[in-house]
Formats: sequence, structure tokens, C-alpha cells
Amino acid sequence: MLKSTHKVTAPPPLPEGWTEHKAPAGHTYYYNASLQKSTYTRPAAPPTPAAPPPIDPTQSFLQYQAVGNSNPSAGPNFNNFSPQGQFPGGGGRGGFQGRGRGGHDRPPRPQPTDKPKSRHPIPECEPWVLVHTKLGRRFVYNTEKDQSYWRIPDKLKDGILALDQLRIKEKAEAWAKEKEPVDSGEAPGATVRPPVAAPEPAQGNGGEVEDSSEYEEVEVTDDEDEDGNPSKRQKTEEQDPDAPVEFNEDDIAFQLAAMGQEYGLEPGEYDDGNMEEWEEGAEGLEITHEDSAALFKDLLNDFGINPYSPWEKLIEEGKLVDDIRYTALNTMKLRKEVWEEWSREKIKVLRELRAKEERRDPRIPYLAFLQRQANPKLYWPEFKRKYRKETEMKDTALADKDREKFYRDHINRLKLPQSTLKSDLLNLLKDQPTSVLNNATLSSHLPPSILADIKYISIEPTARDALVETYISTLPPPPESIPEEETEEGIKERKERERRQKALEDRERHVAEEKRRQKRNLEFGKGRLREEEQEIARAMNVTKKGLKDHLMGEEGADKTA
Amino acid sequence: MPAIRHASKRKAPPAGFSDIEDDLLIFSNKMKDAENAPTTNVPRHQVHWPIFQISHQRSRYVYELYYEKEAISKQLYEWLLKNGYADAMLIAKWKKTGYEKLCCLRCVQTKETNFNSTCICRVPKAQMKEDQNIECVSCGCRGCASSD
Repeated sequence: MLKSTHKVTAPPPLPEGWTEHKAPAGHTYYYNASLQKSTYTRPAAPPTPAAPPPIDPTQSFLQYQAVGNSNPSAGPNFNNFSPQGQFPGGGGRGGFQGRGRGGHDRPPRPQPTDKPKSRHPIPECEPWVLVHTKLGRRFVYNTEKDQSYWRIPDKLKDGILALDQLRIKEKAEAWAKEKEPVDSGEAPGATVRPPVAAPEPAQGNGGEVEDSSEYEEVEVTDDEDEDGNPSKRQKTEEQDPDAPVEFNEDDIAFQLAAMGQEYGLEPGEYDDGNMEEWEEGAEGLEITHEDSAALFKDLLNDFGINPYSPWEKLIEEGKLVDDIRYTALNTMKLRKEVWEEWSREKIKVLRELRAKEERRDPRIPYLAFLQRQANPKLYWPEFKRKYRKETEMKDTALADKDREKFYRDHINRLKLPQSTLKSDLLNLLKDQPTSVLNNATLSSHLPPSILADIKYISIEPTARDALVETYISTLPPPPESIPEEETEEGIKERKERERRQKALEDRERHVAEEKRRQKRNLEFGKGRLREEEQEIARAMNVTKKGLKDHLMGEEGADKTA
Repeated sequence: MPAIRHASKRKAPPAGFSDIEDDLLIFSNKMKDAENAPTTNVPRHQVHWPIFQISHQRSRYVYELYYEKEAISKQLYEWLLKNGYADAMLIAKWKKTGYEKLCCLRCVQTKETNFNSTCICRVPKAQMKEDQNIECVSCGCRGCASSD
């Protein structure tokens, strides 16, 4: 980082009568009790020179403005002298006034002004002089051509190196004499390199950076292209100084690709963004379109979706979205197609099933209901009114007339003696063929022909069940058993389904892994960049000191010798 | 909507009605909501748009069940039409080529327009200007040409 050239010195003592105070906001102010006056400025002494605020090197474009300022000590030409001809003195770009571009309407910050401080002729390069600024930066200036560059041209490199060595020697001598800490701002080696410069090679201007790295040692300011590509430079320097390095997707992709090559990875093993290219071989398990359609159908089956419902209802409910199988198909159009196909199939299956299963007699539930609720004390209209909300009473399959008839019959039968009812029931049971009623029949699963008979419900359920059970136990076994069918098909279907499920899970796992790997790679890349940055920073620090130490050591050796 | 008759006089709907009863109920609830929604802030010509829309959706639902999925019997389909669950005239248009997606009957009534033309929503998207979004005046349709 750039260090201020300002040396903090103890302020001169206050004149008599004045006292120093701290305001609640943190300002210091001065109060004279005798005069009853207070002031922010230090009385009877030049106001404490304001230390230039520490500037961020990433804002180094500020220097241009500063260089444009006149300073008589730097020479007569400094007024209209503008490095690279792009500066406010030249009137080329108004945008340089504030924080670079006019597009940003942030209020201008208090800016440190940088001024030329001293100039040194460069030996063996006559028209050129090296100008040091107040903030410790420097540039070269051609007095004849009236040109100046922050970036030091190659031909001046040797001269400036010599000059530097000379100055370091002087410094070292002075330091040795006075045993005083050297003002680092004065040191020519106080190289200012923004950390942004380090990661920049990744962005593709590798060529310039390479050649700039040759004379990194003499380079004092940021490496900029000789001919000045202001728009580009501005862009890079306008980045928020708080955010150290900003990555865009290109950087990441580039890095990933580079790392992939480094480790000899297949493109499929890290996610390089263009999946389509490596989808075929790189990933483990394949999901064909049929599979994904079947997965979606499984999903529809599992959620018990009504095949008769409209598609819009399905979407509005949004039950399916949370399931991963929903992603098996990637467009809504495909999903709708598959849903249509599925509902068509499903409806067909349902119809077949319904046709196959024997029609459930609507009398059975009604009769069971009668047995529970019928009461000889209630007439039919009363009964109907009392239970009009029951589903058995509302069932459209049974006519109201039939219902009434059953009710009256049942009530009449309840008045008969128990023995008649029992013999009636036994007669009913005896009438059933052995294929329907045999000793394998469970008393809870009696054939519908019995359940739908009014005789069956006339007796109390407990007494009736015992009677039926004893009768069934006396019956012969069923004539022949029907072998179980369709098991093979069922097993096959289940296996197929499991396979599809597994394929989808595999895919999900793969995706998760890819994500993880990408994240890790990114972290790794960032870490490496950080490390590099630190390394560079360290290297910059060391070179200066090392050179100094080296020179001093030489001198010491000379002296002893 | 079907006329409401007393339960004792009501004839049971044909078999299969119980399958679609819930969905039809949803549609009729939606329709009730749309009918009762306040129209104070709605432009005059847009007031009936939701009604048209729900009616279209319900007719489409019945049409697809019968003609495309073959999920309901002919008896049930006719019963539905008779009881006003679907618009028979609109469905009759959907069976003709070029009218497969027709939004409402008003949009093909050429006699009602100034230049004896159909509604703008009948114009295929391909013949419209780029990014021209329309909502037709009669039912708010955004385009119902068969080629869309």
C-alpha cells in the first residue's frame, strides 16, 4: 500500500489562554476562556496540515488529475503538461474529473491531490527527467517533446535503475548517519501496485501483461499500456475498491477449463457450463425420453391424481412440483403431453376394471344401513326425513320407491318370531351353491346374493353371525381353486419401475456432485489467487528492503575493508 | 348452469358422472366467484371476460373428455350438454378445421363487425407484427388461431 509522505509531527504548543478540547463528534477544537471564543482551527499557529487521506491504489487514476495541477517547483511546463495527453489540462475527457466516468453520480469524495515534488534528470537520457510526486509516485517527462508517461519506456529503464541505486545509496548513508527511519514515501522503490493487477492476466490481455512484467522493477505505477487505452483502464480501475477481486463467469469458466486440463479431467468431470457437449458419454446413467415420461407417469400415479381432472387444476394445486420426478421432463409442453397420454391410459384401465368387477349391489349398503337404523316406531316418511343426509339415503342408484319397499318389509319382518327368521336365513344359506358358499368362505366376506337379501338382516348381527359360521363349518370344501395369475407381469413391472427410479436418483446424485465439485474448484481457484496476491505483495516488500540491505551490507563491507 | 330441480324430481345423471363431478363443481364455484366479483374498477368491455374464460375452459374440459380421451359415455356427454355444463355450439365449431381453438362464438360473428371481419384474435401469430400482444374486445382472447 501507498504510504503517506506526511510525517506526523507534534503540533506546536498553543498560545496562552487557549485550551484544546474534543467535541462529542470527535473533532478537536480550541477554546479561549478569556476571550470566550472557540475555534476549530488551531490558533496562533498554521492550521494543522491535513494529512492526505490514505488512498487506495485501485483508485490510482486520481493521479492524473493530480499531475495536471500546477506546481511551480516542478518546472515551467508543468501547467499544460499532461501524461499521455488524456488529462483535464488537455481537456480531452471531462470524465476524469470525479471518479472516472460521468455515468456515476456519486458525490465526489475528498481526493488527495498529488503534485510533482522533485525532478531528477536521468543520466544518459538527456531530454527525459524523472519526476517524483508528493504521494511517492513517479513518472518520466520529456522536456523537449513535452510528453510524459506513467509507464516508463524501455529505453529509460537502465538510466532509472542507475538513478535508483544512487538514491538508495544516498538514503542508506543518510540512514546510517542519522539512525532515523527512512520515510518510505520518499523511497523510490515504494512501488505502487494495485492488487487488481495480479488476477488480471486471466482476463485475456495476457500479452501486455507479459511484457510489462519484464520491467516490473522499474515500474512504479500501475502497468498500463503505452498508447493509453483509457476506456479499458477506467473500467478496471473503477471497480469498487472494497471488493478486492471481482470474478465474472468467464473467469470462472476459464479457470475451470485450465484446472481441468491441469488435472487431466474429462470435460464431463467438471461442469464447464455447456452440458450438451458432454452429456452423452461423460455421465454415468442415461435417462431416455421414455424413462422420463414413465417417471412422470409414476409420479402421477403415486400422487393419486384423478385422471378425469383438467390439467389446469393439476398445475394450480402444485402438489407435484416438489417431487424430483417432476424434473424428469423439462418443459411444460412435454409434461402436458405425457399427462394427456397417462390420463387416457388410466381412464381406459379404470373402465376395464369397472367392467370386470361385479357391480356392487346398491341394496347391500342400504340394507346394512336399515339393520342399524330401522326402528318399528318410525314410519317411512319419518325415517326418510330423519336420515335424509345419509349417503345410503341419497344414493341415486337405488330408487326411492325401492328404498321404501325395503324399509316396510324389514319393519314387518322384525315383528315375526325369531324361529321363523332363523329358518328363513338357513333356507337362504342352503340355497347357495357350493361354488359361492363353502367352508373356505369367511363369515365377513359372504357372497352378495346373501348380503342383498332382506332375510339376512332380520336377525340381530351377533346371533346371525354365529348361525352363519356354524352353518359354513358344516359345508364341503370348494370344488376347485383358481390358480393365481399375472404375478409374473406384476413382478416385471415393479422391476422396471425400480430401475427408472434408480436412474433418476443417479442423475440427481451426479448433478449434486457436479455442483459440489464446481464449488470446490471455485474455492480452490480463489484461494490460489489470494495466495498469489499475497505472494506478490510480499515480493514487492522484500525487493526494496532486500536491495537496501544488500547495498548497506556492501557499504559496511567496504568500510571494514 | 343446470336448472335446479327438487331432489325427488331429479333424475340421476348417467353413469360416470361421479368421476367428473368434483371438477365440474370446481368450475361452477369459479363461475360463481367470477359472477359475484365486483366490477367497479373493470373497464366496461372487460366485465364479461372471466365469464367467457371459465365457460370456455369448462366446455373444453367436457369436449376433451368425450372426443379426445373418450373418458365419458355418450349418454353422459349428452346429459352434460343438456344440463348446460358445456356449450354445444362452441363444441360444434371446434370440430371444424380452422376452428380447433376458437375462444368464443362472438369472435367469428362477422356480421357484428364494421368491416365484416372476424375478431383480431383469429389472426395467426405469424401474420401479426412482432411483439404485438392483443386481447380481443369480446372475450379477452390473446389469439386462438389454429396455427398458433
